[in-house]
Amino acid sequence: MTGNVRTVFGLLATAALVAACSSSGASTAPSAGSTLKIGVVTDVGKVDDKNFNQYSYEGAQKAAADLGATVQYVVPKDASDYAKDIQGFVDQKFNIIVTVGFALGTDTIKAAKANPDVWFLAVDVAPCVDEAGAPDGTFACKGDASKLLPKLIGITFQEDQAGYLAGIVSAAVSKTGKIGQIGAINNNPAVVRYLQGFQLGAKSYNPNVTVETAFFSTGDPNKAYADPVWGKTFSTQFIDQKGVDVLFQVAGGTGNGALDAACEKNILAIGVDVDQYNSYTTADKCIVTSAEKHLSSAVNQTIKAISGSTAKGGVSTFNAKNDGVGYSPFHNTSIPIPAGVQAKLDAAVAGMKDGSLKTCPDKCGTWTQP
Amino acid sequence: MSGIPQALDAIPVLGILFQLLGYLVANIEFMSHTTVAVAIPITLAALCGVMCERSGVVNIGLEGIMLTAAFVGWIAGVVAVGILGPGTQLPVFGITVPLLIALVAALLAGMLVSLLHAWLAISLRVDQIISGTIINIGAAGITGYVYSLMASKSAVGAGSFTTYRVPSGVADFPIVGWLINAVLSQGPIGIITILVVIVLQIMLFRSRWGLRTRAVGEHPRAAETVGIDVIRLRYRNVVMSGALAALGGAWLSMEQTNKFDTNMTAGRGFIGLAAMIVGRWTPLGAFGAALLFASATALSTSLQISPPQGDLGALMGRVPGEFWEALPYIITIVILAGLIGRSIAPAADGQPYERESAT
Repeated sequence: MTGNVRTVFGLLATAALVAACSSSGASTAPSAGSTLKIGVVTDVGKVDDKNFNQYSYEGAQKAAADLGATVQYVVPKDASDYAKDIQGFVDQKFNIIVTVGFALGTDTIKAAKANPDVWFLAVDVAPCVDEAGAPDGTFACKGDASKLLPKLIGITFQEDQAGYLAGIVSAAVSKTGKIGQIGAINNNPAVVRYLQGFQLGAKSYNPNVTVETAFFSTGDPNKAYADPVWGKTFSTQFIDQKGVDVLFQVAGGTGNGALDAACEKNILAIGVDVDQYNSYTTADKCIVTSAEKHLSSAVNQTIKAISGSTAKGGVSTFNAKNDGVGYSPFHNTSIPIPAGVQAKLDAAVAGMKDGSLKTCPDKCGTWTQP
Repeated sequence: MSGIPQALDAIPVLGILFQLLGYLVANIEFMSHTTVAVAIPITLAALCGVMCERSGVVNIGLEGIMLTAAFVGWIAGVVAVGILGPGTQLPVFGITVPLLIALVAALLAGMLVSLLHAWLAISLRVDQIISGTIINIGAAGITGYVYSLMASKSAVGAGSFTTYRVPSGVADFPIVGWLINAVLSQGPIGIITILVVIVLQIMLFRSRWGLRTRAVGEHPRAAETVGIDVIRLRYRNVVMSGALAALGGAWLSMEQTNKFDTNMTAGRGFIGLAAMIVGRWTPLGAFGAALLFASATALSTSLQISPPQGDLGALMGRVPGEFWEALPYIITIVILAGLIGRSIAPAADGQPYERESAT
């Protein structure tokens, strides 16, 4: 018996190690005589995922079309292929290599350090390096990435602005004045910025609105980002317990479960990162809008800056000013949007553009329990 | 705490307990649904384990069987929708023809994987732990790979069973109403699970099949001498039990969500294995253990969503949130550790059987 129990928990560990494989593919766009070669290494999955991969690649395609450059992409089979696929583009003498998503950050930094002549664009990554310019797993970030790795650009987004706009919409469509937001985990600054912006945006539309906040996990990344079953269970309890009638979620795959829960509970939901009305169609009947990062625009602009020799290494932040964030169109005509909301949204975007609107508290990115 | 006199709350130590009680009373309504929802897949996995191990075959491949069934069910739904179209929904539980086809496919897939385990464990007499491990690793790898191939196409699945909405008059009735709501507001697979627990408990301890199964698990040689075909009964039980774990997988991809996701079982099969041991290899016990794990999960969720106020809140606030999230696992480990030696597995559990004549 003892042996049995021991085996059970030994295997729990084994199960955690089992990663699933993914497929890969590549295609070439016709070359147009320019010497500029752009390579895009997506995250695992597929290139037309209506998500990070697709929109980042579209940005590279647009830039390539305008500049007459060659563009190619590769979809890594799994996380262990990131480095190999980046190296593939380096070996083929690509000038600009775009890597898509936070997961590729470490391998991108390593490649940038090893290949100082190649431009690297890390989408959704704020490069964190030690004094030697190597990736810093402790997140102390002692080194100055912009000096140590002058050809590495980390594309980041001001999530609080996107959250702010979604907050305005949520407060407007709420009938009860109680809205909710669930983040993946409270120590991820990007997640927290979304939530902080959402809260301020909702209050700006209606100061009396109550914004309830929770997180899917305190420390388990699988529960936080990759477990839609947990997302649905947790969100169902959240909706019941807090009585909210609009739910915003910032939690990747787990968040999709929250969208399902909202639909099942007949309340409205807000998507995140990309237009989830298109990317998560099973919940399209309850998605009002999504707090969006304009990945295509950000990648396009950054590549053009490199080609025009105006690009600098380090973090490149995208916000409303440079069309980096926004909200998705109101596709769903069965959800009435109150009159005047559009004016409020336009005013908020204008305020963000001229810098007069504050969309995040002083400790932006750090969650403090209210 | 409303409902409890302020004076009671003010008593040191005891006051905290009163506050805790008050918190539980105020929030149990919300925890009940989560409790049942978390318990369902764990229970189904545990029932599969009970059926196997009661007949003398260790099955740690529960996770793999669930994952395979979740995947095959979803794929079958995609194919069925492709051929038949989405179909019309019946008024109860959103049942459609493609969804039923998907469910049957999931159950068959689970039974097929179990047949593999039975063949390895019973006929080839492979180490049963190894056989189960093969199933777990193989299922994760194969489903993940094929899913990623599928992901490049826009696959539309058969959707999911919908839940039953309990009339609010019943659902709001204290305690009894909440319990009825917690069970009935699940979908059809959730409700079937509870029936299966009861039926299996009776079958295992009150039927001829149950007696034979237990005999084969305790002393196969003795069972053989009274004319029970040990090999055949073990085969039948292992294969049938696969349908139970498969039902758990179907619940993941066809009831709680509406599509497959890479590695979506997320350890639920392993917790089921623990529930089987804590429940002392009985269906009711396993269900109880799953409910205990699930209620601890629901409590930690409630503490996260709606932290208690006052002294209790101040006290709990000093404990890191990670502790509450780990609580269900801690409880399971503590109980498992406490039970070792007292919780006795079927005597012939994990031992391959060889016929007298064959040796």
